[in-house]
Amino acid sequence: MSRISLAFSSFFGLLFGGQLPDSVILALGLSKRSAKTSAAAAPAPKVDVSDGALQLLALLQRDARLLDFLMEDVSPYSDEQVGAAVRNIHESSRATLQRYLSLQPVIDGVEGAVTQLSAAGSLKNDPGAIKLLGNVPADGNVKAGTLRHKGWKVEKIELPALQVKTNLKILAPAEIEVE
Amino acid sequence: MVIGIDLGTTNSALAFGEDEAVQAFAVEQVVQPGEVRAESLLPSFVYLPGPKDFAEGATALPWDEQPKYVVGTLARRRGAESMGRLVASAKSWLSYAGVDRNEAILPVHAPDGVAKISPVEASRAYLEHLNEAWQHAGHPALGEHEVVLTVPASFDAVARQLTEKAAREAGITKLVLLEEPQAAFYAWIGKHADWREKVGPGDRVLIIDIGGGTTDFTLIDVKDQGGELTLERVAVGDHILLGGDNMDLALARHLETKMPKLDAQQLQALWQQCRAAKEVLLDPESTVTAQPVTILGRGSSLIGGTIKSKLTRAEVEQILVEGFFPHVAPDEELAKTRRSALTEIALPYASDARITAHLAHFVKQCGAAPTHVLFNGGVLRAGLVRDRILSSLNLWLPKPVKVLDGEDLMLAVARGAAYYGLARQGKGIRIRGGVPRTYYVGIEDAMPAVPGMAAPMKAFTVVPFGMEEGTAHQYPGRKFGLYVGEPVEFRIFSSTERRGDEAGALLEPMPKDLKELPAMEITLAPTAKTPVGLVAVTLESHVTATGVLELFCVAASGDRWKLEFSVRERKA
Repeated sequence: MSRISLAFSSFFGLLFGGQLPDSVILALGLSKRSAKTSAAAAPAPKVDVSDGALQLLALLQRDARLLDFLMEDVSPYSDEQVGAAVRNIHESSRATLQRYLSLQPVIDGVEGAVTQLSAAGSLKNDPGAIKLLGNVPADGNVKAGTLRHKGWKVEKIELPALQVKTNLKILAPAEIEVE
Repeated sequence: MVIGIDLGTTNSALAFGEDEAVQAFAVEQVVQPGEVRAESLLPSFVYLPGPKDFAEGATALPWDEQPKYVVGTLARRRGAESMGRLVASAKSWLSYAGVDRNEAILPVHAPDGVAKISPVEASRAYLEHLNEAWQHAGHPALGEHEVVLTVPASFDAVARQLTEKAAREAGITKLVLLEEPQAAFYAWIGKHADWREKVGPGDRVLIIDIGGGTTDFTLIDVKDQGGELTLERVAVGDHILLGGDNMDLALARHLETKMPKLDAQQLQALWQQCRAAKEVLLDPESTVTAQPVTILGRGSSLIGGTIKSKLTRAEVEQILVEGFFPHVAPDEELAKTRRSALTEIALPYASDARITAHLAHFVKQCGAAPTHVLFNGGVLRAGLVRDRILSSLNLWLPKPVKVLDGEDLMLAVARGAAYYGLARQGKGIRIRGGVPRTYYVGIEDAMPAVPGMAAPMKAFTVVPFGMEEGTAHQYPGRKFGLYVGEPVEFRIFSSTERRGDEAGALLEPMPKDLKELPAMEITLAPTAKTPVGLVAVTLESHVTATGVLELFCVAASGDRWKLEFSVRERKA
């Protein structure tokens, strides 16, 4: 299918049928997951996976102006000029992260020291939580190694409750001052 | 359970006491649009939201979906961007006799069409918020508890009465007023079980309380009565509108001269950065000699527009020491600037910024030398400021003063208030003190009228200095002829400095240093025993158990009429 016709069939399929037409799924190489729809359950408020991400971005912009910083072209400015601003942004970003997230290392050890994988507790067998580097044996069974990075994990996330009407796509409002 | 509330000029706090233990209460409030959090302080700010200020529901509280006003952190935050709708320093307005404090005058510079509120209403809003947050945390309403509410020692009878009114309107019924410096002293006692070993009979404790916007002095005597230590508050200073905010502003103004032109929000940021830099530089533990002050660029050009400067310890010391804490002679006179006849309505800020000069004035007026000092208020966290005050005091006094330390300077007042509540229930020592001023009724001399000349006035002492809570004075010897059914006006004067005038003393002519309060107005209503016409009455003064001053007219028949302050603008 051409891009145009793909776009149109997706658009109308979603608009009128509530799902992607089979032809589109086939063309894009997607697979259809059968979402278990229990008709009896009341529809929960719709939360998109991206909601939390957008909200966190908006918070970092509001409290620390992180977006302004990341989206600005810093190449014309001296290190000193950039450094002056960064102290400020760093301090506020950190405060914001610590307020809404509780961040912990995956392994609370000393980097560079020989460390048991069991120090990661229940995460010790999770390849997403511990990345093995170097000469890893064929069966992947490793008990210890040198800790190169402690890793980060979120223990708790407490974002402010969203109001129904919030447009999350607005990360920062435009500001207009009335003279 | 007993509740202590510090209704501050810039921050309010609540503490509660149970079985001798006192705890601070974290107050839920909207901190950002749509975000409610519990914070240890409730900033004393009200924002009057306009139709386009917030998205629907963004100011909702757990107990109120659509509050009329925004109170607390969000009010302060949004108010910095839109000053015209921000009510600040309501407490200072409450003590300012130059305006009608029941009239909706705040914010003074609100755009036309904004529904303003009165200083009393703003104070009520803070207390109401505390009441709601307290209930939302699962406690019975504040009306169910005994509540100790603190006021500056320098609040006069009218400001106390208005504070009481605001509290009653906020649903606080079992109310006791307590002076803030005394509360700070109670907090100190509460923290030091061995306090009797640190002060003894004959000691005089000077309490210096420098808050964000006000400075307050109090002197407490330690006495021995039949082998028991007793505490007596013997003097309080005048209400001085001068505090930490003035210092931060002075630092900001100093740096502003070295920067390109800043807009209102950048100035606000500069002010806050100067405050933070000052706190770092003056921390006794700190070894840094300069602190960067960075104002990020406005708009999305953040780095390009960043303005960089720094504040050095030397600059901070110089500005604070020279401007606010210079060494002065013990008999230094306070500078008085002449105010032009036509002034805009504004708070009567202190015209002399030298806190040491105000202190010298207070110490001189106290007579005897203090032996100990207790500090309170955020400004005094800075070692430099404490040292300057101590070295000034030691220059004036024959013997060096000792410092009583060890309290949390920010939350001491609320904690002390709760401790005092427990003390009232017999679980601790109480400071005796009574009314911290002398009150007089002005009496016109009876003499033939002379055109263009006001009749000379005499002052009749109705409330002597230190009159205690729960006592009364009667003056049967002095009768006034009043017309029943017609309005009459009593002119009321007060003094914090004249402490020797006894109840019933007649000062003739009236001393010049008395301060006039709003008049007390009354229309004696006729009763069964007192028909319309002339009646002879005597005066009676009461100080209620909660520390409120009351005056009555009493007729020979036993009929009594209570006088009320009319809190209208005093005509100059």
